Amino acid sequence: MPGLQLEGVANAVLAPLALRVRAGEAVAILGPSGAGKSTLLKIIAGLLPHRGRVVLGGQDLTGTPPHRRGIGYMSQDLHLFPHLTVAQNLHLPLLFHRGTRTARTARVAETLRLCSIAHRADRRPASLSGGERQRAALARALVARPRLLLLDEPFANLDHATRATLWREVDSLRRDLGMTALIVTHDPAEAAALADRSVRIAGGILTERTDTTCSPLMTTPCFAC
Amino acid sequence: MLSALVWLPLVLIVTTILGAVGALVSHLPLPALAEAVSSPETRFAVAMSLRTSLLALGLALALGLPAAWLLARRRFAGKAVIETTLDLPMVTPPLVAGIGLMFLLGHQTPVGGAAQTLGLGLLFSPAGVVLAQTYIATSVIVRSARAAFGAVDPGFATSAATLGVPPLWSFLLVEVPMAGRALLAAAVLGWARALGEFGATLMVAGATRMHTETLPLAVYLNIASGRTDIAIACALTLLALAFALLLAIRLLTAERDNSLRGDADARLAA
Repeated sequence: MPGLQLEGVANAVLAPLALRVRAGEAVAILGPSGAGKSTLLKIIAGLLPHRGRVVLGGQDLTGTPPHRRGIGYMSQDLHLFPHLTVAQNLHLPLLFHRGTRTARTARVAETLRLCSIAHRADRRPASLSGGERQRAALARALVARPRLLLLDEPFANLDHATRATLWREVDSLRRDLGMTALIVTHDPAEAAALADRSVRIAGGILTERTDTTCSPLMTTPCFAC
Repeated sequence: MLSALVWLPLVLIVTTILGAVGALVSHLPLPALAEAVSSPETRFAVAMSLRTSLLALGLALALGLPAAWLLARRRFAGKAVIETTLDLPMVTPPLVAGIGLMFLLGHQTPVGGAAQTLGLGLLFSPAGVVLAQTYIATSVIVRSARAAFGAVDPGFATSAATLGVPPLWSFLLVEVPMAGRALLAAAVLGWARALGEFGATLMVAGATRMHTETLPLAVYLNIASGRTDIAIACALTLLALAFALLLAIRLLTAERDNSLRGDADARLAA
Protein backbone atom coordinates (compact mmCIF):
# COMPACT_ATOMS: atom_id res chain seq x y z
CA MET A 1 0.00 0.00 0.00
CA PRO A 2 1.39 3.42 -0.97
CA GLY A 3 2.08 6.23 1.47
CA LEU A 4 0.72 9.76 1.23
CA GLN A 5 2.71 12.96 1.17
CA LEU A 6 1.30 16.48 1.27
CA GLU A 7 3.71 19.26 0.29
CA GLY A 8 2.71 22.89 0.85
CA VAL A 9 -0.96 22.07 0.35
CA ALA A 10 -3.05 25.21 0.86
CA ASN A 11 -6.19 27.00 -0.22
CA ALA A 12 -8.37 29.85 1.09
CA VAL A 13 -9.10 27.91 4.30
CA LEU A 14 -5.82 26.08 4.91
CA ALA A 15 -2.37 27.56 5.51
CA PRO A 16 0.39 25.73 3.61
CA LEU A 17 0.82 22.39 5.34
CA ALA A 18 2.98 19.32 5.07
CA LEU A 19 2.07 15.83 6.17
CA ARG A 20 3.54 12.40 5.58
CA VAL A 21 1.52 9.24 6.15
CA ARG A 22 3.43 5.99 5.91
CA ALA A 23 2.11 3.09 3.84
CA GLY A 24 -0.43 1.14 5.87
CA GLU A 25 -0.62 3.84 8.54
CA ALA A 26 -3.84 5.47 9.75
CA VAL A 27 -3.70 9.11 10.80
CA ALA A 28 -6.55 10.94 12.51
CA ILE A 29 -7.11 14.64 11.86
CA LEU A 30 -8.60 16.28 14.91
CA GLY A 31 -9.83 19.83 15.34
CA PRO A 32 -12.87 21.97 16.00
CA SER A 33 -15.68 22.48 13.48
CA GLY A 34 -14.71 24.80 10.63
CA ALA A 35 -10.99 24.23 11.16
CA GLY A 36 -10.46 22.88 7.67
CA LYS A 37 -10.38 19.11 8.38
CA SER A 38 -12.96 18.16 5.77
CA THR A 39 -11.47 20.69 3.35
CA LEU A 40 -8.15 18.85 3.54
CA LEU A 41 -9.82 15.51 2.75
CA LYS A 42 -11.68 17.03 -0.20
CA ILE A 43 -8.40 18.45 -1.53
CA ILE A 44 -6.78 15.01 -1.32
CA ALA A 45 -9.81 13.43 -3.03
CA GLY A 46 -9.49 15.98 -5.85
CA LEU A 47 -12.75 17.75 -5.10
CA LEU A 48 -11.32 21.21 -4.34
CA PRO A 49 -8.68 23.30 -6.10
CA HIS A 50 -5.50 23.94 -4.10
CA ARG A 51 -1.87 24.98 -4.16
CA GLY A 52 0.95 22.56 -3.36
CA ARG A 53 1.32 18.85 -4.15
CA VAL A 54 -0.58 15.73 -3.14
CA VAL A 55 1.66 12.70 -3.71
CA LEU A 56 0.33 9.17 -3.32
CA GLY A 57 2.72 6.24 -3.70
CA GLY A 58 5.24 8.54 -5.38
CA GLN A 59 2.69 9.76 -7.93
CA ASP A 60 1.83 13.47 -7.98
CA LEU A 61 -1.97 13.62 -8.10
CA THR A 62 -2.14 17.35 -8.88
CA GLY A 63 -4.47 17.77 -11.85
CA THR A 64 -5.71 14.16 -11.67
CA PRO A 65 -9.54 14.12 -11.65
CA PRO A 66 -11.23 12.49 -8.63
CA HIS A 67 -12.36 9.40 -10.53
CA ARG A 68 -8.78 8.55 -11.53
CA ARG A 69 -7.14 8.98 -8.10
CA GLY A 70 -7.84 5.51 -6.73
CA ILE A 71 -8.92 6.95 -3.38
CA GLY A 72 -11.86 5.72 -1.31
CA TYR A 73 -13.73 8.61 0.27
CA MET A 74 -16.56 8.22 2.74
CA SER A 75 -18.24 11.53 3.53
CA GLN A 76 -20.27 12.27 6.62
CA ASP A 77 -23.45 12.36 4.51
CA LEU A 78 -22.62 8.89 3.10
CA HIS A 79 -24.50 9.56 -0.16
CA LEU A 80 -25.48 5.96 -0.78
CA PHE A 81 -27.31 5.91 -4.10
CA PRO A 82 -30.97 5.61 -3.10
CA HIS A 83 -32.14 4.04 -6.39
CA LEU A 84 -29.73 1.11 -6.02
CA THR A 85 -29.61 -1.75 -3.55
CA VAL A 86 -26.65 -2.07 -1.21
CA ALA A 87 -25.05 -4.68 -3.50
CA GLN A 88 -25.65 -2.49 -6.57
CA ASN A 89 -24.05 0.45 -4.72
CA LEU A 90 -20.92 -1.69 -4.46
CA HIS A 91 -21.14 -3.00 -8.03
CA LEU A 92 -21.22 0.49 -9.56
CA PRO A 93 -17.58 1.49 -8.82
CA LEU A 94 -16.35 -1.94 -9.96
CA LEU A 95 -17.91 -1.45 -13.40
CA PHE A 96 -15.03 0.92 -14.15
CA HIS A 97 -12.27 -1.45 -13.06
CA ARG A 98 -10.82 -4.37 -14.96
CA GLY A 99 -12.28 -7.74 -14.13
CA THR A 100 -14.96 -10.17 -15.14
CA ARG A 101 -18.54 -10.07 -13.94
CA THR A 102 -17.86 -13.14 -11.81
CA ALA A 103 -14.85 -11.48 -10.20
CA ARG A 104 -16.89 -8.34 -9.52
CA THR A 105 -19.69 -10.33 -7.91
CA ALA A 106 -17.19 -12.21 -5.76
CA ARG A 107 -15.50 -8.96 -4.68
CA VAL A 108 -18.86 -7.40 -3.75
CA ALA A 109 -19.85 -10.47 -1.73
CA GLU A 110 -16.49 -10.55 0.04
CA THR A 111 -16.62 -6.83 0.92
CA LEU A 112 -20.21 -7.05 2.13
CA ARG A 113 -19.20 -9.93 4.38
CA LEU A 114 -16.10 -8.11 5.66
CA CYS A 115 -18.26 -5.12 6.58
CA SER A 116 -20.96 -7.33 8.15
CA ILE A 117 -23.69 -6.02 5.86
CA ALA A 118 -24.16 -9.04 3.56
CA HIS A 119 -27.59 -9.73 5.09
CA ARG A 120 -28.81 -6.37 3.70
CA ALA A 121 -27.35 -6.78 0.20
CA ASP A 122 -30.72 -6.60 -1.56
CA ARG A 123 -32.14 -3.71 0.46
CA ARG A 124 -32.34 -0.08 -0.59
CA PRO A 125 -30.45 2.42 1.64
CA ALA A 126 -33.68 4.07 2.82
CA SER A 127 -34.72 0.87 4.60
CA LEU A 128 -31.44 0.48 6.54
CA SER A 129 -30.73 1.57 10.10
CA GLY A 130 -28.11 4.26 10.77
CA GLY A 131 -25.39 1.74 11.61
CA GLU A 132 -26.23 -0.40 8.58
CA ARG A 133 -25.98 2.61 6.32
CA GLN A 134 -22.53 3.42 7.72
CA ARG A 135 -21.44 -0.18 7.09
CA ALA A 136 -22.81 -0.08 3.54
CA ALA A 137 -21.03 3.23 2.81
CA LEU A 138 -17.79 1.86 4.23
CA ALA A 139 -18.13 -1.29 2.14
CA ARG A 140 -18.69 0.83 -0.97
CA ALA A 141 -15.60 2.94 -0.22
CA LEU A 142 -13.52 -0.24 0.23
CA VAL A 143 -14.86 -2.42 -2.58
CA ALA A 144 -12.38 -1.24 -5.22
CA ARG A 145 -9.54 -1.66 -2.67
CA PRO A 146 -8.44 1.98 -2.96
CA ARG A 147 -4.85 3.07 -2.50
CA LEU A 148 -5.93 5.44 0.26
CA LEU A 149 -9.05 5.55 2.43
CA LEU A 150 -10.44 8.92 3.52
CA LEU A 151 -13.08 8.87 6.25
CA ASP A 152 -14.82 12.16 7.08
CA GLU A 153 -16.54 11.97 10.49
CA PRO A 154 -17.41 8.39 9.55
CA PHE A 155 -19.62 7.47 12.45
CA ALA A 156 -21.22 10.74 13.48
CA ASN A 157 -24.86 10.61 14.54
CA LEU A 158 -24.62 7.05 15.86
CA ASP A 159 -25.16 5.96 19.42
CA HIS A 160 -22.02 5.24 21.43
CA ALA A 161 -22.45 1.44 21.54
CA THR A 162 -22.79 1.21 17.74
CA ARG A 163 -19.84 3.56 17.26
CA ALA A 164 -17.63 1.50 19.56
CA THR A 165 -18.53 -1.69 17.68
CA LEU A 166 -17.83 -0.05 14.32
CA TRP A 167 -14.52 1.39 15.56
CA ARG A 168 -13.27 -2.08 16.49
CA GLU A 169 -14.46 -3.61 13.21
CA VAL A 170 -13.15 -0.85 10.96
CA ASP A 171 -9.75 -0.77 12.65
CA SER A 172 -9.41 -4.53 12.33
CA LEU A 173 -10.59 -4.47 8.70
CA ARG A 174 -8.21 -1.65 7.73
CA ARG A 175 -5.28 -3.46 9.31
CA ASP A 176 -6.22 -6.72 7.56
CA LEU A 177 -6.31 -4.92 4.21
CA GLY A 178 -3.11 -3.00 5.08
CA MET A 179 -4.77 0.20 3.94
CA THR A 180 -3.37 3.71 4.37
CA ALA A 181 -6.05 5.97 5.87
CA LEU A 182 -6.81 9.53 6.92
CA ILE A 183 -9.69 9.91 9.36
CA VAL A 184 -11.31 13.25 10.15
CA THR A 185 -13.00 13.45 13.52
CA HIS A 186 -13.60 15.89 16.31
CA ASP A 187 -13.69 13.04 18.82
CA PRO A 188 -10.26 12.07 20.30
CA ALA A 189 -11.69 8.73 21.47
CA GLU A 190 -12.56 7.90 17.86
CA ALA A 191 -9.10 9.03 16.76
CA ALA A 192 -7.47 6.80 19.32
CA ALA A 193 -9.62 3.84 18.31
CA LEU A 194 -9.10 4.14 14.57
CA ALA A 195 -5.69 5.73 14.04
CA ASP A 196 -2.05 4.99 14.75
CA ARG A 197 -1.40 8.68 15.43
CA SER A 198 -3.20 12.02 15.32
CA VAL A 199 -2.60 15.47 13.94
CA ARG A 200 -4.60 18.58 14.75
CA ILE A 201 -5.92 21.36 12.55
CA ALA A 202 -7.01 24.63 14.08
CA GLY A 203 -7.52 27.88 12.22
CA GLY A 204 -6.27 26.25 9.03
CA ILE A 205 -2.90 25.31 10.61
CA LEU A 206 -1.85 21.67 11.03
CA THR A 207 0.21 20.56 14.01
CA GLU A 208 1.36 17.12 15.15
CA ARG A 209 -0.32 15.98 18.39
CA THR A 210 1.99 14.72 21.07
CA ASP A 211 -0.33 14.18 24.04
CA THR A 212 -1.95 10.79 24.50
CA THR A 213 -4.38 11.71 27.23
CA CYS A 214 -7.42 10.42 25.38
CA SER A 215 -8.24 6.76 25.30
CA PRO A 216 -10.59 4.79 23.05
CA LEU A 217 -12.21 3.50 26.20
CA MET A 218 -13.56 6.94 27.08
CA THR A 219 -17.31 6.90 27.05
CA THR A 220 -17.75 10.58 26.20
CA PRO A 221 -15.89 12.68 23.61
CA CYS A 222 -12.98 14.68 25.00
CA PHE A 223 -13.50 18.12 23.42
CA ALA A 224 -10.61 19.62 25.39
CA CYS A 225 -8.05 17.68 23.33
CA MET B 1 -73.58 29.76 2.48
CA LEU B 2 -70.01 31.15 2.40
CA SER B 3 -68.53 27.65 2.13
CA ALA B 4 -70.79 26.95 -0.86
CA LEU B 5 -69.60 30.17 -2.53
CA VAL B 6 -65.96 29.05 -2.19
CA TRP B 7 -66.76 26.12 -4.50
CA LEU B 8 -68.37 28.33 -7.16
CA PRO B 9 -65.22 29.39 -9.09
CA LEU B 10 -63.95 25.80 -9.22
CA VAL B 11 -67.31 24.50 -10.44
CA LEU B 12 -67.46 27.30 -13.03
CA ILE B 13 -63.98 26.52 -14.41
CA VAL B 14 -64.52 22.76 -14.58
CA THR B 15 -67.99 23.18 -16.10
CA THR B 16 -66.61 25.45 -18.82
CA ILE B 17 -63.86 22.97 -19.73
CA LEU B 18 -66.25 20.00 -19.75
CA GLY B 19 -68.84 22.10 -21.58
CA ALA B 20 -66.40 22.84 -24.41
CA VAL B 21 -65.47 19.16 -24.68
CA GLY B 22 -69.11 18.10 -24.50
CA ALA B 23 -70.07 20.60 -27.20
CA LEU B 24 -67.42 19.11 -29.48
CA VAL B 25 -68.55 15.54 -28.81
CA SER B 26 -72.25 16.30 -29.22
CA HIS B 27 -71.78 18.34 -32.41
CA LEU B 28 -71.54 15.22 -34.56
CA PRO B 29 -73.67 12.08 -34.38
CA LEU B 30 -71.55 9.07 -33.40
CA PRO B 31 -71.58 7.34 -36.84
CA ALA B 32 -70.46 10.56 -38.54
CA LEU B 33 -67.76 11.03 -35.91
CA ALA B 34 -66.52 7.46 -36.42
CA GLU B 35 -66.39 8.04 -40.16
CA ALA B 36 -64.47 11.32 -39.70
CA VAL B 37 -61.99 9.70 -37.31
CA SER B 38 -61.23 6.94 -39.82
CA SER B 39 -60.98 9.28 -42.81
CA PRO B 40 -57.62 9.29 -44.66
CA GLU B 41 -56.97 12.92 -43.73
CA THR B 42 -57.51 12.35 -40.00
CA ARG B 43 -55.37 9.21 -40.09
CA PHE B 44 -52.63 11.13 -41.95
CA ALA B 45 -52.77 13.96 -39.38
CA VAL B 46 -52.56 11.49 -36.46
CA ALA B 47 -49.60 9.67 -38.02
CA MET B 48 -47.84 12.93 -38.92
CA SER B 49 -48.38 14.34 -35.43
CA LEU B 50 -47.11 11.20 -33.69
CA ARG B 51 -44.10 10.80 -35.99
CA THR B 52 -42.96 14.42 -35.84
CA SER B 53 -43.68 14.95 -32.16
CA LEU B 54 -41.79 11.80 -31.12
CA LEU B 55 -38.82 12.84 -33.28
CA ALA B 56 -39.02 16.34 -31.80
CA LEU B 57 -39.15 14.84 -28.31
CA GLY B 58 -35.98 12.81 -28.99
CA LEU B 59 -34.16 15.90 -30.26
CA ALA B 60 -35.45 18.05 -27.40
CA LEU B 61 -34.26 15.47 -24.84
CA ALA B 62 -30.86 15.11 -26.51
CA LEU B 63 -30.38 18.88 -26.42
CA GLY B 64 -32.36 19.73 -23.31
CA LEU B 65 -31.04 17.26 -20.74
CA PRO B 66 -27.34 18.20 -20.97
CA ALA B 67 -28.29 21.88 -21.11
CA ALA B 68 -30.53 21.52 -18.05
CA TRP B 69 -27.80 19.65 -16.17
CA LEU B 70 -25.31 22.42 -16.96
CA LEU B 71 -27.73 25.09 -15.74
CA ALA B 72 -28.48 23.14 -12.55
CA ARG B 73 -24.86 22.29 -11.70
CA ARG B 74 -22.58 25.06 -12.96
CA ARG B 75 -22.24 28.75 -12.24
CA PHE B 76 -21.00 30.90 -15.10
CA ALA B 77 -21.04 34.49 -16.33
CA GLY B 78 -24.27 35.52 -18.05
CA LYS B 79 -26.26 32.57 -16.65
CA ALA B 80 -29.26 34.75 -15.77
CA VAL B 81 -29.39 36.15 -19.32
CA ILE B 82 -29.13 32.64 -20.82
CA GLU B 83 -31.87 31.29 -18.54
CA THR B 84 -34.14 34.18 -19.46
CA THR B 85 -33.43 33.58 -23.15
CA LEU B 86 -34.30 29.89 -22.74
CA ASP B 87 -37.65 30.84 -21.21
CA LEU B 88 -38.53 33.13 -24.14
CA PRO B 89 -40.18 30.43 -26.31
CA MET B 90 -42.49 29.63 -23.39
CA VAL B 91 -43.82 33.13 -22.96
CA THR B 92 -43.82 34.51 -26.51
CA PRO B 93 -46.64 33.50 -28.85
CA PRO B 94 -45.49 30.54 -30.99
CA LEU B 95 -46.39 32.59 -34.06
CA VAL B 96 -43.64 35.06 -33.14
CA ALA B 97 -41.15 32.21 -32.72
CA GLY B 98 -42.33 30.82 -36.05
CA ILE B 99 -41.74 34.09 -37.92
CA GLY B 100 -38.25 34.31 -36.40
CA LEU B 101 -37.44 30.73 -37.40
CA MET B 102 -38.84 31.30 -40.89
CA PHE B 103 -36.53 34.28 -41.47
CA LEU B 104 -33.59 32.46 -39.87
CA LEU B 105 -34.02 29.43 -42.12
CA GLY B 106 -34.96 31.17 -45.36
CA HIS B 107 -33.05 29.99 -48.44
CA GLN B 108 -31.16 33.29 -48.66
CA THR B 109 -29.82 33.10 -45.10
CA PRO B 110 -26.54 31.32 -44.19
CA VAL B 111 -28.35 28.72 -42.04
CA GLY B 112 -31.07 28.05 -44.59
CA GLY B 113 -28.51 27.97 -47.41
CA ALA B 114 -26.34 25.48 -45.53
CA ALA B 115 -29.34 23.25 -44.81
CA GLN B 116 -30.31 23.44 -48.50
CA THR B 117 -26.77 22.43 -49.52
CA LEU B 118 -27.02 19.40 -47.25
CA GLY B 119 -30.27 18.47 -48.94
CA LEU B 120 -32.27 19.33 -45.85
CA GLY B 121 -35.22 21.44 -46.87
CA LEU B 122 -36.46 22.76 -43.55
CA LEU B 123 -39.07 25.30 -44.59
CA PHE B 124 -42.55 24.12 -45.65
CA SER B 125 -41.70 20.45 -45.14
CA PRO B 126 -42.22 17.79 -42.45
CA ALA B 127 -38.66 18.59 -41.27
CA GLY B 128 -39.94 22.10 -40.57
CA VAL B 129 -42.72 20.62 -38.43
CA VAL B 130 -40.10 18.72 -36.39
CA LEU B 131 -38.00 21.86 -36.08
CA ALA B 132 -40.90 24.00 -34.81
CA GLN B 133 -42.00 21.31 -32.35
CA THR B 134 -38.42 20.79 -31.12
CA TYR B 135 -38.04 24.53 -30.58
CA ILE B 136 -41.08 24.66 -28.30
CA ALA B 137 -40.56 21.30 -26.55
CA THR B 138 -36.89 21.99 -25.77
CA SER B 139 -37.80 25.08 -23.79
CA VAL B 140 -40.32 23.13 -21.68
CA ILE B 141 -37.90 20.23 -21.13
CA VAL B 142 -34.94 22.45 -20.19
CA ARG B 143 -37.01 24.29 -17.60
CA SER B 144 -38.51 21.15 -16.02
CA ALA B 145 -35.32 19.07 -16.20
CA ARG B 146 -33.28 21.89 -14.66
CA ALA B 147 -35.56 21.77 -11.62
CA ALA B 148 -35.34 17.95 -11.59
CA PHE B 149 -31.52 17.93 -11.62
CA GLY B 150 -31.43 20.80 -9.13
CA ALA B 151 -33.41 18.66 -6.67
CA VAL B 152 -30.70 15.96 -6.71
CA ASP B 153 -28.02 16.61 -4.08
CA PRO B 154 -24.75 17.21 -6.02
CA GLY B 155 -23.01 15.21 -3.29
CA PHE B 156 -24.16 12.02 -5.05
CA ALA B 157 -22.22 12.94 -8.19
CA THR B 158 -19.22 13.86 -6.04
CA SER B 159 -19.52 10.53 -4.28
CA ALA B 160 -19.65 8.71 -7.63
CA ALA B 161 -16.51 10.56 -8.77
CA THR B 162 -14.55 9.53 -5.67
CA LEU B 163 -15.65 5.93 -6.31
CA GLY B 164 -14.00 6.05 -9.73
CA VAL B 165 -17.13 6.65 -11.83
CA PRO B 166 -16.33 8.92 -14.84
CA PRO B 167 -18.50 12.09 -15.15
CA LEU B 168 -20.60 10.92 -18.15
CA TRP B 169 -21.42 7.62 -16.44
CA SER B 170 -22.16 9.41 -13.19
CA PHE B 171 -24.67 11.53 -15.13
CA LEU B 172 -26.25 8.48 -16.80
CA LEU B 173 -26.15 5.99 -13.89
CA VAL B 174 -26.61 8.26 -10.88
CA GLU B 175 -28.10 11.67 -11.65
CA VAL B 176 -30.55 10.74 -14.43
CA PRO B 177 -32.08 7.78 -12.50
CA MET B 178 -32.29 9.86 -9.32
CA ALA B 179 -34.13 12.62 -11.17
CA GLY B 180 -35.97 9.87 -13.09
CA ARG B 181 -39.66 10.44 -12.52
CA ALA B 182 -39.35 14.22 -12.72
CA LEU B 183 -37.41 13.86 -15.97
CA LEU B 184 -40.04 11.48 -17.31
CA ALA B 185 -42.75 14.00 -16.39
CA ALA B 186 -40.70 16.71 -18.16
CA ALA B 187 -40.48 14.51 -21.26
CA VAL B 188 -44.23 13.85 -21.26
CA LEU B 189 -44.92 17.57 -20.85
CA GLY B 190 -42.52 18.35 -23.70
CA TRP B 191 -44.20 15.75 -25.88
CA ALA B 192 -47.63 17.20 -25.10
CA ARG B 193 -46.40 20.67 -26.10
CA ALA B 194 -44.91 19.29 -29.33
CA LEU B 195 -48.12 17.43 -30.13
CA GLY B 196 -50.26 20.53 -29.68
CA GLU B 197 -47.84 22.94 -31.40
CA PHE B 198 -49.60 25.11 -33.97
CA GLY B 199 -48.34 28.70 -34.41
CA ALA B 200 -44.65 28.04 -35.02
CA THR B 201 -45.46 25.01 -37.19
CA LEU B 202 -47.80 27.10 -39.33
CA MET B 203 -45.06 29.67 -39.96
CA VAL B 204 -42.14 27.28 -40.50
CA ALA B 205 -43.79 24.29 -42.20
CA GLY B 206 -46.92 25.89 -43.64
CA ALA B 207 -50.36 24.31 -43.62
CA THR B 208 -50.31 21.99 -46.63
CA ARG B 209 -53.00 19.34 -46.66
CA MET B 210 -51.63 15.76 -46.51
CA HIS B 211 -48.04 17.06 -46.47
CA THR B 212 -47.30 19.00 -43.29
CA GLU B 213 -50.74 18.44 -41.81
CA THR B 214 -50.44 17.74 -38.09
CA LEU B 215 -53.56 17.42 -35.90
CA PRO B 216 -53.68 21.14 -34.91
CA LEU B 217 -53.12 22.14 -38.55
CA ALA B 218 -55.85 19.73 -39.64
CA VAL B 219 -58.29 21.41 -37.24
CA TYR B 220 -57.35 24.82 -38.65
CA LEU B 221 -57.48 23.76 -42.32
CA ASN B 222 -60.79 21.94 -42.03
CA ILE B 223 -62.55 24.64 -40.01
CA ALA B 224 -61.37 27.15 -42.64
CA SER B 225 -62.66 24.99 -45.50
CA GLY B 226 -65.96 24.06 -43.84
CA ARG B 227 -65.12 20.38 -43.17
CA THR B 228 -66.32 20.59 -39.56
CA ASP B 229 -66.53 16.79 -39.14
CA ILE B 230 -62.81 16.26 -39.81
CA ALA B 231 -61.93 19.28 -37.65
CA ILE B 232 -63.94 17.86 -34.75
CA ALA B 233 -62.46 14.38 -35.19
CA CYS B 234 -58.94 15.82 -35.09
CA ALA B 235 -59.77 18.09 -32.14
CA LEU B 236 -61.17 15.15 -30.16
CA THR B 237 -58.13 13.02 -30.98
CA LEU B 238 -55.89 15.82 -29.71
CA LEU B 239 -58.00 16.14 -26.57
CA ALA B 240 -57.81 12.39 -25.92
CA LEU B 241 -54.03 12.38 -26.38
CA ALA B 242 -53.61 15.45 -24.16
CA PHE B 243 -55.78 13.86 -21.47
CA ALA B 244 -53.75 10.64 -21.57
CA LEU B 245 -50.47 12.56 -21.32
CA LEU B 246 -51.68 14.76 -18.47
CA LEU B 247 -52.89 11.66 -16.64
CA ALA B 248 -49.46 10.08 -17.16
CA ILE B 249 -47.74 13.15 -15.68
CA ARG B 250 -50.13 13.12 -12.72
CA LEU B 251 -49.50 9.42 -12.06
CA LEU B 252 -45.74 9.81 -12.44
CA THR B 253 -45.52 12.72 -10.02
CA ALA B 254 -47.98 11.10 -7.59
CA GLU B 255 -45.91 7.88 -7.55
CA ARG B 256 -42.81 9.98 -6.93
CA ASP B 257 -44.45 11.71 -3.99
CA ASN B 258 -45.57 8.35 -2.62
CA SER B 259 -42.11 6.82 -2.99
CA LEU B 260 -40.53 9.82 -1.25
CA ARG B 261 -43.10 9.49 1.53
CA GLY B 262 -42.34 5.75 1.67
CA ASP B 263 -38.61 6.43 1.99
CA ALA B 264 -39.25 8.90 4.80
CA ASP B 265 -41.51 6.41 6.57
CA ALA B 266 -38.92 3.66 6.21
CA ARG B 267 -36.27 5.96 7.62
CA LEU B 268 -38.44 6.82 10.58
CA ALA B 269 -39.23 3.14 11.15
CA ALA B 270 -35.51 2.34 11.04
